[in-house]
Amino acid sequence: MHETSIAAALLDQLLRIAAEHHATRIEQVEVRCGVMRQVVPEALQLAFEAASAGTPAAGAQLTIIEEGLVVRCRACRAEFASGLDDYRCPRCKTADVELIAGHDIILRSVVCQANTAGSDARGPDCL
Amino acid sequence: MKINVVESVLKANDAVARENRRRMDAAGVLAVNLMSAPGSGKTLLLEKTIPALAPDHRCAVLVGDLQTTRDAERLGGLATQVTQINTGTGCHLSATHVAQGLDSLDLQGVDFLFIENVGNMVCPAAFDLGEHRRAVLLSAPEGDDKVAKYPTLFQPADVILLTKLDLRGVLDYNRDRVYEDLSRINTRAPVIELSAKTGHGLERWFAWLRQERRQHSGGDSAPPRGRKDTAT
Repeated sequence: MHETSIAAALLDQLLRIAAEHHATRIEQVEVRCGVMRQVVPEALQLAFEAASAGTPAAGAQLTIIEEGLVVRCRACRAEFASGLDDYRCPRCKTADVELIAGHDIILRSVVCQANTAGSDARGPDCL
Repeated sequence: MKINVVESVLKANDAVARENRRRMDAAGVLAVNLMSAPGSGKTLLLEKTIPALAPDHRCAVLVGDLQTTRDAERLGGLATQVTQINTGTGCHLSATHVAQGLDSLDLQGVDFLFIENVGNMVCPAAFDLGEHRRAVLLSAPEGDDKVAKYPTLFQPADVILLTKLDLRGVLDYNRDRVYEDLSRINTRAPVIELSAKTGHGLERWFAWLRQERRQHSGGDSAPPRGRKDTAT
């Protein structure tokens, strides 16, 4: 259940971003989870719901998008999409790779309700 | 309003991990993260390893468990310093746990820091602790199918230890199946077959540790090779 730690880290990140943008409530969150991190979406949803209770992120809709694995062969430097169960290079046939994508958990976007009384609610990152 | 972000959720953990690695590099310590299922023999392996390295190397241990100080008590008389980290309900060590553990140790003069992670084949693999090498144990009683079942643990391993092989004769354990699965998951890491109980194979493990220590002292402080380098 490492989703509990991930949810706690995500909440810290969201609250910081909300404060930076003078937001009063977080409504939607999009996260891309690399398959290598083995996040169970339902477990992360549940952990986030529990962690965010009583905070400005309570009730936010969390969208989790799975990101596939891309690796690079350390011998021939070929990059290829890989499954979790087979990392063999199509050329070298060895399973000695570096991870290029699909190994991280990335916060991609946050939709929040701005404090309309704030004088600088729409920062440069706001769309 | 919509705010577009591209920021790792584990950025805070990774930053602490980088600082842990920097602290250990500064002190000349090689940190080895031992990961496996509960009961695969991590503590017994350390009980055999620390005295064997003792003539030339000083060892410290951070040992993670949900509850009890039993492992720290077992290792207390062997390592120069041991700190037990109780995670409560947490199923893995985080970089912050290790940072707090490092605060409790005097790293000067320490050659090896063994981080005995919480017994778990899923969660520990997702967290960089600031270690230099990852050792993954698989014991014979767990079965010969675990490499295929838990590939994310074995893929980034720098060394794979097949433990409790003294029990192989009484188990339906097919060693070839382990190697066959590893040929798809990780062909980089050396595989060391051993029994901490009988002593079989331990010399190879000690030799691997000494070699990695020499390599580290020579300036190679890179984190484990099979995964993302969070140091950059």
